[in-house]
Amino acid sequence: MGILFTLPAVIILLAVLAYPIISSFVLSFQDVRLAAGGIVTEFVGLENYMRIFQDAAFRNAFSNSIYFTFVEVVAVTLLSLGLALLLNHPLGRPAIYRVVLLIPWALAPVANAVLWKWIYNANYGVLNAIVVGLGLSETGVVWLGSPFLALNMILIADVWKAIPFITLLLLAGLQNIPRHLYKAALMDGATTWQQFIHVTLPGLRTTLIISNVLQSIWALKVFDLVFVLTKGGPADGTVLLNFLSWRVTFNYLNIGYGAAIADVLFVLMLLLALAYIRALRPRTSARK
Amino acid sequence: MNKNLSKVIIQIFLISFVFLALGPILWAVVTSFLPLSSLTAKPIDLDPTKFTLTNYVEVLDTSRGLMSGLINSMIIATFTSAVALTVGSAAAYALARLSLPGSNAILLSILATQMFPGIVIAIPLFIVMSRLGMIDTHLGLMFVYLSFVLPIVIWILKGFFESIPIQLEKAAAIDGATNTQTFRYIILPISLPPLFATGVFAFIESWNEFFFAIILTRINVKTAPIAISEFAGQYRTLYGQMLASAVLASLPVVILAIIFRRFILEGFVEGAVKS
Repeated sequence: MGILFTLPAVIILLAVLAYPIISSFVLSFQDVRLAAGGIVTEFVGLENYMRIFQDAAFRNAFSNSIYFTFVEVVAVTLLSLGLALLLNHPLGRPAIYRVVLLIPWALAPVANAVLWKWIYNANYGVLNAIVVGLGLSETGVVWLGSPFLALNMILIADVWKAIPFITLLLLAGLQNIPRHLYKAALMDGATTWQQFIHVTLPGLRTTLIISNVLQSIWALKVFDLVFVLTKGGPADGTVLLNFLSWRVTFNYLNIGYGAAIADVLFVLMLLLALAYIRALRPRTSARK
Repeated sequence: MNKNLSKVIIQIFLISFVFLALGPILWAVVTSFLPLSSLTAKPIDLDPTKFTLTNYVEVLDTSRGLMSGLINSMIIATFTSAVALTVGSAAAYALARLSLPGSNAILLSILATQMFPGIVIAIPLFIVMSRLGMIDTHLGLMFVYLSFVLPIVIWILKGFFESIPIQLEKAAAIDGATNTQTFRYIILPISLPPLFATGVFAFIESWNEFFFAIILTRINVKTAPIAISEFAGQYRTLYGQMLASAVLASLPVVILAIIFRRFILEGFVEGAVKS
């Protein structure tokens, strides 16, 4: 009986998830060409994967992605934690602050990209107006004009967009910490800081790990911002793995190699998730 | 520390939070009402008497792609949510209540869907759809959107169905109702609010999607995010129009998020923490 209920969902998921994932793996061992009559494939073994190791563009995208993901997770976690604590304070409780969080969250990533494209605009952007107004620079800065700076500007835009959801997660986590733990700590004469270290942080452990998993995966998937703000430039400074795979596949039409890069990205995400799940395990079993 | 002083400091932090969260959006909204001459003035000319709807009128011109983008997004997001709800609610109910072989495996694979980079499935789907002639069709994009919408819908609804008291179904079983009847006549009617809210969530996700849309559409089924990116990508960027298109395309989902905030906050976010 239950099978009948799940059958349609299972069929759809097999078609749009299971099949493509397996197929992507198969493609990564092939040379795929778009010919006049359609798509021609030829088995090339590990050639695509060997190529990854020699490809400077891949190495560049890989280190960009690692840097981007690491800084994003650290920045989003710290800022969201601070914000969640602020909104968990009695003065931060009014519902209006939650609504304020939902607005950037609901915004389409492309709209977010447009927002920052306008703010960063070298000639007319408000960021340069502020920088010049404060006397920090005479002519303003071309924010997206040099590789490393552009990468960091994209990072800022992505962190801004990611904070609301993670803050909401952490807020829910904070509200799950039993009140009596704080009372007990207070009776033992714990300071606010000691309460934070010995009650709040351990209580948030699971939530923090979940939010770190989600955030790392999302950071590795970033595409829209790169596409709208820089198209990977300048000098490939903002090419992240996901963008590289897209460019190799759909711009250079190197489908087999693109699939190999995509699979490397997939394995990277899987390893990250497994590492986090391992980190989660000891405590949860101890609690039960 | 002095109680009043710390209150003041917290208020300052709260105000800066609101400013940082809404400032960039407000800036985009305000400047979207300015003509190009004001936007490119130095310093920017915020004279309210120059406020104009020109940018909006121009981006909504049918020759510009945003109007059809909004319509396409509306069609695709509505149908994706509807299919995901229909198929997903049945699956979620089975996972929550009916004994099912391999239900753990199904749940795990649903979680795993969050770990795929879209590009992994986009490449093979692009090839298959090219062969089937489904590139640049509403149906093709809807189908692909189910890959990320359906798992979330199943996950949220499963949590909800588990929270319904089981006595209700036991009573129905005693009266001789089959599982299908119980689901159809008892469970679904009392689940309308969460079903609707889950649908809204699915709608927002599909509406905002960009990556699959840029790969799997060409001319006919350009979605709203694609239209925005085109306004942003033109050689001589028309800043006002770029902003107006982003505002217009964001408005429906931001309004939905505000209306359904209670569900998103309580149901979805807290559900993610607890499970």
